[in-house]
Amino acid sequence: MRKALKIKAAAAMTVLILLLAGGVAMAEEMKMVGDVVKIEIAGPDAKTAKATLKDTKTGKLVTVIVNDDLTLDKFKDHRIVVGDEIRCKYEVQDGKNVSKYFRKTAGC
Amino acid sequence: MKGYLIVLSLLLVAGSVAQAKEHPGKAYIEKNGYQGPSTCESKGCHPGTAKKFLGTVHWKHASPVANVDNVDPGKEYGMKNRIYTMCNGNDLVNDLKEIPPNPKTGKTKFTGCNTCHPGNHISDVGSTGKDAENAVDCLVCHSSAYDYRLRKPYKDEMGRVVMGQDRSVKAATAVGKPGVKNCMVCHEAAGGGVLLKRGFSFTKETDVHAAKKMVCVDCHGAKDHRIPTGYDPNNWAHDGVRVVCADCHGETPHKDEDNNRHSARVACQTCHIPRTGGALAKDFTKWTQGSDGFYEPTTLRMEANETMPVYAWYNRTVANTPAFIGPKGSRANQESRIYPFKVFEGKAFFDKKTGNLLSMDFAPPMATGDALAGVASAAKTLGIKEYEPVPGWQTIYFASTHLVTREKALTCFNCHSRNGVLNFRALGYTEKEEEKLTNASIYFDKVAAQQGEW
Repeated sequence: MRKALKIKAAAAMTVLILLLAGGVAMAEEMKMVGDVVKIEIAGPDAKTAKATLKDTKTGKLVTVIVNDDLTLDKFKDHRIVVGDEIRCKYEVQDGKNVSKYFRKTAGC
Repeated sequence: MKGYLIVLSLLLVAGSVAQAKEHPGKAYIEKNGYQGPSTCESKGCHPGTAKKFLGTVHWKHASPVANVDNVDPGKEYGMKNRIYTMCNGNDLVNDLKEIPPNPKTGKTKFTGCNTCHPGNHISDVGSTGKDAENAVDCLVCHSSAYDYRLRKPYKDEMGRVVMGQDRSVKAATAVGKPGVKNCMVCHEAAGGGVLLKRGFSFTKETDVHAAKKMVCVDCHGAKDHRIPTGYDPNNWAHDGVRVVCADCHGETPHKDEDNNRHSARVACQTCHIPRTGGALAKDFTKWTQGSDGFYEPTTLRMEANETMPVYAWYNRTVANTPAFIGPKGSRANQESRIYPFKVFEGKAFFDKKTGNLLSMDFAPPMATGDALAGVASAAKTLGIKEYEPVPGWQTIYFASTHLVTREKALTCFNCHSRNGVLNFRALGYTEKEEEKLTNASIYFDKVAAQQGEW
């Protein structure tokens, strides 16, 4: 009986640790609207790019890493250019801002 | 058999992409440069194409409409002249122009519904003649190397607003069948922002056709630039050609005959497009100031796949009143099938005298937030002298025909259960029928047997 209780307690502790570890690993999602001030992309085959946005509320410059194919393609053929206003969500991963959502605010 | 047809189609698609890479005339263009449609039509290639293109919906932004209530059969309708509360303006009243300076920032910008028209704005929506033919921007749809920085409005030396085009040799020597991005350049930003209007994205993550590397024109395959469309209750203009799932998949595409039986009264989309997204609602009477100082109609946005559709009978004819644009049909009407729809609600100004929705020129409210100034400007353009604007709501049902899934398609119990997605009473079934239709007895033995196969 005591052994069974110990096993249950150990299992519960394991679950708790895993949940806490998961919580720590979860990156915080940041949201902003800003104008593109710089796009750094290395050629037509690039798989990643850096875009610097000027936060329209704070004026702060934020550089985000963009990895998704759709947005990279828009950088490559200039559907997104310096001066465009962007609605962006990003997560801080290993000290870098990784884009999760990068879209022009404008439409017709 | 259907499977073979799909494989054959994909092979043909792959073949046509390969052909597109080897589009002839490269040497000629490299030597002579690219002057627009005249180059495409030179050397006996594509003769008369520009003239024919002027007769299509992509140029005219309108067509006769036969399946919609309360329209004049002698007139043409489309984004040229329609008003509804997702797009409270149209090409006529919200023509591409430089808007007045924002009082706070002094900044201005170019905007208008016809920004996406594939001309140069001097030759605009519905224009005809040689100038119009020469103004067609073939490459914006057909080039994979188009430099979109060049497709921007500007004022020429005469003060006219002109839409720029990329007519470079680089763009002209990379032509072929339009890719997804060629279409989405315009279609993804309709309705005031990216993926707002129809609420779908066409990516490998969100649509089974995109995952198979298909492109828009594989289904919307044009002949003489007449592009087949579906039967969206809110997309009226069409080139006289239509596309439906059965064109490729047939009427009975399932291995399971129970599923095939459903297709008589249930549209493919109902099971295979279980989600929708985009703008939920908009208020054109209250414009919200953005961080750039300009105003936009207040909009509730959702992502693709974030919202649930509503299900209704639809016989491909459309109810059209100031308060509602949406499907007609019923259980009793054998032409009707149950379809999913994206529901949108929009608030705008209606004329108290006539009850009709009033249109809006976006330039004044975009600069100052004054929505009624936009109504006044549109009324002036249309020659409406007397009107009494009152705010009101309109509900629109948009077709839900993308975001197609096989893996996440609805199955028996998604509909036939107490908490199923279909409201059988609202669809015209009796209480007794509903009780029967939402009971597991309908599918219990079959699903149990399928589980047993594991």
